[in-house]
Amino acid sequence: MAIAGFLVFAGAVGLLWSRNMVYGLLFLAMEGMALTIMVGSTERLSWAVAAIMAATLAIKVGLIPGSMYRVVSRWPTEFRQDQPLPFWAYPVAAGLLLAVGHVIQLLTPTGIILHRTLFFYGLASIHLGLLMIVSRRHVLSQVAALVGIENGLVVLAASVAGALPTFMEFGMLVDLLVAAAILVWMSHRIHHQFKTTDVVALRRLRG
Amino acid sequence: MDMQYGLGPLIVIVLALLGVSLQIRKISLVIALWVSMVLVATFVDMYASVFQGDWQDILLLVVTVLATTSAWDSIWFLREHEDIRVGRYYVWWALFWGALAAIVLAENLMVSWVAIEFSTLASGALVVEMGNRRALEAAWKYIVIASVGLALALIGIIFVYAGLRFQGLGWNTLAYSNLARHYHAIAPIVRGVATILIVSGIGTKVGLVPFHTWLPDAHSEAPSPVSGLLSGALLGLCLVTIERFVAAVPQPSTALLSGPHLLIFYGVLSITVGSLALLVQRDIKRLLAYSSIEQVGIMAIGFGIGTPLAEMAALLQLVFHAAIKSTLFYLSGHLSAAYHSKRLEKITGMAKTYPGLAISWSLGILALAGVPPLGLAYSEWIMLHAMWQMHQVWLIAVLSLALLVTFAALTYHLLSGLWGGLNFSVSGSQEDMEATSHGSSTAVVGGERA
Repeated sequence: MAIAGFLVFAGAVGLLWSRNMVYGLLFLAMEGMALTIMVGSTERLSWAVAAIMAATLAIKVGLIPGSMYRVVSRWPTEFRQDQPLPFWAYPVAAGLLLAVGHVIQLLTPTGIILHRTLFFYGLASIHLGLLMIVSRRHVLSQVAALVGIENGLVVLAASVAGALPTFMEFGMLVDLLVAAAILVWMSHRIHHQFKTTDVVALRRLRG
Repeated sequence: MDMQYGLGPLIVIVLALLGVSLQIRKISLVIALWVSMVLVATFVDMYASVFQGDWQDILLLVVTVLATTSAWDSIWFLREHEDIRVGRYYVWWALFWGALAAIVLAENLMVSWVAIEFSTLASGALVVEMGNRRALEAAWKYIVIASVGLALALIGIIFVYAGLRFQGLGWNTLAYSNLARHYHAIAPIVRGVATILIVSGIGTKVGLVPFHTWLPDAHSEAPSPVSGLLSGALLGLCLVTIERFVAAVPQPSTALLSGPHLLIFYGVLSITVGSLALLVQRDIKRLLAYSSIEQVGIMAIGFGIGTPLAEMAALLQLVFHAAIKSTLFYLSGHLSAAYHSKRLEKITGMAKTYPGLAISWSLGILALAGVPPLGLAYSEWIMLHAMWQMHQVWLIAVLSLALLVTFAALTYHLLSGLWGGLNFSVSGSQEDMEATSHGSSTAVVGGERA
């Protein structure tokens, strides 16, 4: 389980670091595969667990990275690369990882954390996903970051609750599938209408 | 009872798909009639409990009334925007309606979360249906920001579940009734962290300042019948969800960042920013959107104070705001279509040009400004009274100032809309055209068709 958690964390680091969207999708698929294995190893195998494993594999390894690849592969090469990560993102990433250690120290006395290493991987992946949303400029990087955050949430849940109820697992999976489908469709439209994949172009409206 | 709330949206989806495949021309009318039938059935089913003051049933009725008015307004709206794909519009609309009903009916925190997330996705897709670049931008910001907020809320929900995992109740652990009975078993610090995450996370969806940046964009670019539902129903229902959690999982009164403290803090920020922003608005729908921020701020303060009188005032505010704001959003859509612009400086002289719309618009704006005897004046007065009872003098001062600024800003915009600029000739700029029209037919930006 810890190895699966580490792979999700490594995937989050890879997603943040990688400029090439195709590599990013491979990291996403790797996270999905690790989560599928983790779901299988956290509980005794039953029909419900098998169904969650199958759904995780189908959605997080197949459908989401697949649909994103389908969109990316149609774009010219210059739209498959993200901008370099800004310099400020490196110290912020380091600070966020250190903050996870502080959260663990804070929560350990309450007994809520079942697996400290896994908790670190989960919360660190969420933090890196949030950083990716504010520091990466490619539309699909933002979609990948949202999927990465959700993957981190699954690891975090495993570290504090062992396993989530089937309803919650399915609710999160279906929600992620619909959200990713809509955002990938919108990414395609943004590229079509704005002739760019850079979210900086989305500044016509001011909050 | 719950069946008709699933059946209502489901039949709309079936009708929409049939309408597209059989090319039924009056499908919008058929759908509006069906939704009206659901409203009648709902009212007959629950009028007794509504008159007894059951707030869950009242909120269900509000959602159904708004869905009905939205369905009827959609007929007019779709005539004005012929390029919108009717079938797809109604499928997303029905899913949005279903999600709203699910938020009200949810007796479990996780079900509430799933319903709120689905409401984001369905309403985000409806914003995209406008087809122009501004709508696409607004929808993108809306879905990304709201999803991040809801992800944070989910961390809080997972912490609450983990705190009670020893019960072995599965997903029933997160039933509001179970949380209210066993919240003591959750460590205070875990409760505190979960409360901050859930109030701030779902607060993003409510549009509470400082998480509000998506709201004016999404509400102003959405189709007007959807803006009415977004502003009138969704914001208030998400706030009620926060209130249900805060009431079920209270914290020690000594806690610095307890749920009530956070609600009052975000509420004060929201009424301040919302009312001041009204003064400088140039877009008719953004004006209404910022007014929504101010209104949810008032409701948040009411829930934060937490006395029965303050909570009643907040719920009354929610109901009156739902009726008034949805109507105003529908009207703003027709006014922008009539003037080919959403710019307030171009929507002028309506008293002479469109007297029917002008009367309705005036009544709505005056109600929103808190002019007695229209509804919001009543609930705002009760709110001030509840604050006075709790000796919250500084809250009374902030709210009174905000209401004064709101009144001044709204009456200024109303008067200039009714009688100002009578020499105006209808000649919208390209940007105005894009802001009011469906992109594929009219929006021309930067030399390319949007």
